[in-house]
Amino acid sequence: MDVRRSDVDSATTPTRQRQSWRNSVRTLNTTTRPLFYSGVLTAPRVSTVRRRSNAHQIDNDVDPNQMALLVKEKWELSRVTPMYNFRYTELKAYSKNLSAFLLEEKQQGTAAAVAGYDKVFAVTFSTISGVAKTKDDAETVFIQINSKPVFAAAGDAPKVVWSGWLTCVRAAPQYLQSLPPEFVCLPVFCSSGAQSLTFLVQSWFERTFDCSFGSLDLSPTDLQWLAAIWTSYHNERKIRSLKLKWTLPSEPPLDVTMAVDGQDAWDLWDSTHQQEDANDIYIEHVKRFLNCIETHFYRHFNIHLSAGVLKRVATEGASVHIDGKVKICPEYLPSTMELLTECAILRMPL
Amino acid sequence: MDPAVRNLLLRILRKIPTGKLEETLTKWTHLSRTQQQSLNYSQSKWILHENIVYLCEENGLTMKHVSELDMIYCMENPTSATWRACQLTDAEDDASSVELISFKEQFKAHLSELIRNVSIKIKKHDDESIWIRIAWGDHFSKPNHLKPTYVVHYLQTPYVFICNLSSKNKLLLHQALVLATKHGSIKDANLSGRSFHAVRDLLMGHYNKTFPTSHSRPLKERNLSPTHPNIVKEHIEQAEKRQQLAREAFGEGTVPKLERATYTLETRFRGGSGIDTFIDSERPFKTVVTFESKSLLASLRHCVSSGMAESPVSPLLSSITQKGRNYFVITDKTNKGPDMTTQSFRSNV
Repeated sequence: MDVRRSDVDSATTPTRQRQSWRNSVRTLNTTTRPLFYSGVLTAPRVSTVRRRSNAHQIDNDVDPNQMALLVKEKWELSRVTPMYNFRYTELKAYSKNLSAFLLEEKQQGTAAAVAGYDKVFAVTFSTISGVAKTKDDAETVFIQINSKPVFAAAGDAPKVVWSGWLTCVRAAPQYLQSLPPEFVCLPVFCSSGAQSLTFLVQSWFERTFDCSFGSLDLSPTDLQWLAAIWTSYHNERKIRSLKLKWTLPSEPPLDVTMAVDGQDAWDLWDSTHQQEDANDIYIEHVKRFLNCIETHFYRHFNIHLSAGVLKRVATEGASVHIDGKVKICPEYLPSTMELLTECAILRMPL
Repeated sequence: MDPAVRNLLLRILRKIPTGKLEETLTKWTHLSRTQQQSLNYSQSKWILHENIVYLCEENGLTMKHVSELDMIYCMENPTSATWRACQLTDAEDDASSVELISFKEQFKAHLSELIRNVSIKIKKHDDESIWIRIAWGDHFSKPNHLKPTYVVHYLQTPYVFICNLSSKNKLLLHQALVLATKHGSIKDANLSGRSFHAVRDLLMGHYNKTFPTSHSRPLKERNLSPTHPNIVKEHIEQAEKRQQLAREAFGEGTVPKLERATYTLETRFRGGSGIDTFIDSERPFKTVVTFESKSLLASLRHCVSSGMAESPVSPLLSSITQKGRNYFVITDKTNKGPDMTTQSFRSNV
């Protein structure tokens, strides 16, 4: 955490600006890989520049039915350490194993409250191709848990009681390459459904693949990034309003929500963001964009929003909360997941 | 007992916490003393309610009596829905002579003339306010007692407070109010909140105000070991000044509990830092700003006294108490005077 903070701070000073990721992304394409950080595992650092993905490309990459699964729910985020011996060829076996594990737990009474005694769980593992963006990224794995009555009638459709997915989008290549080959890195775990089931699924993964899960809290800077990135997609996906919510530590706490008109937000972003390369977004631009909005607020209300914490960012299609809850739309998926992948890797226990 | 009456009675009973039930029933006076004493309040809610319904059946109570119970509970606990403040304008010469009986008659007569099948109940509260409960129906349906509108008016004042009013019935109610109070029209006061008392106190100015004073307050002697007496003195002075400003703007002690304030900003961009797009253009930077808190005025007062909000207090914020409003539309003044930073308030009616 400390590493990250100091890096964020130094990121705002222009001296280090163009050193990190932008180069990495570019050099990747030209196959020469400069030595980046020494001791990658001990010091991953936060990016100061991000690349926007082309929105048209997104539509074609992921199957629309599968995309619908990803954008339907509000996800709770966790981070996962690399999984030992996870094999894409074994997904069917994993489905069976996890079903059996849940049944066993249910018989011990843990999961019964969720489904009731007359129901059984059926787990399906599947892959969603197209979410991963580089050849080093592992394919996204989607898990769905259905409950169905033990004695199902013909018309009884199984009910989805829980879903979740593990993903990795543009993870730092030097981090991935530093892992031994028998490990699969899918650092972001999104879940939606009963907490007790999330817990059981996580403990099954921990037992089976010798990994560990932890909470994935975001920082206000991450939220600022997303506010800017989402605004930058205004031409692909019209925003009606960009909602930013701060909480000020007054007694009682004061919530301040600013809903900036979408077109105005984009115009402001456009003028904050230098046009040299429209697909690169620098941290200075993000900070300046948010600073402008905060200053506009200050000039009206004489209140320093910087005294509070940015807690939530939302547009019509997406929202993110600092506690690690996120809802996304197809256009934002790659950029958002790339940022979350980075956050997850930065918070890995070493 | 009519199933509709029974249904309404059960719904009202469920709404009332058991702790307040005895008190409310006593005020209602439709159950005899012995009947009330026969009730056991430590029983489960379900059995208790069934017993009360049984007693009401025994007494042959009707919809009229049951809706009165709803009204009594609402008058004592007016925090269940959003209250909107309205203001009567263009008073006629004899507006100040309207008294309770004539208001009652006039209001009932006008409203029943405008709409059939409406059930109106009017009661006077201890604090001289008039409470009106209206259950609306239309030509083909009976009054719906499940979703009544409540209206509170203080005679001889222009203030009216309304809760649970659908837009369909708004015009009818406004017309009946205007005629019964002998005013020309009625307008939205741009103030709303969940606590009736807070909305009323804010609009009618019934709370502890601190008036601006140029006298410095005497400093208390403190047994501190100061680093430098002048610095400490200065700090204390500044802190006291902030406290004073905060109290002037948002009141002292317990302030009316308001939940939110909304500002629709249609002003020029003032974010600065070399962003020329908005500065040059006349186009406004459209933003809706919402402040939310368990007690908004207390939060804002703390913001000012703790220094999160800088002095002077923004006129936009102090307008909440000064104008008794919590909904504002802010635009730039159209004439380009030398002072470009002033804003004007435009009420949204």
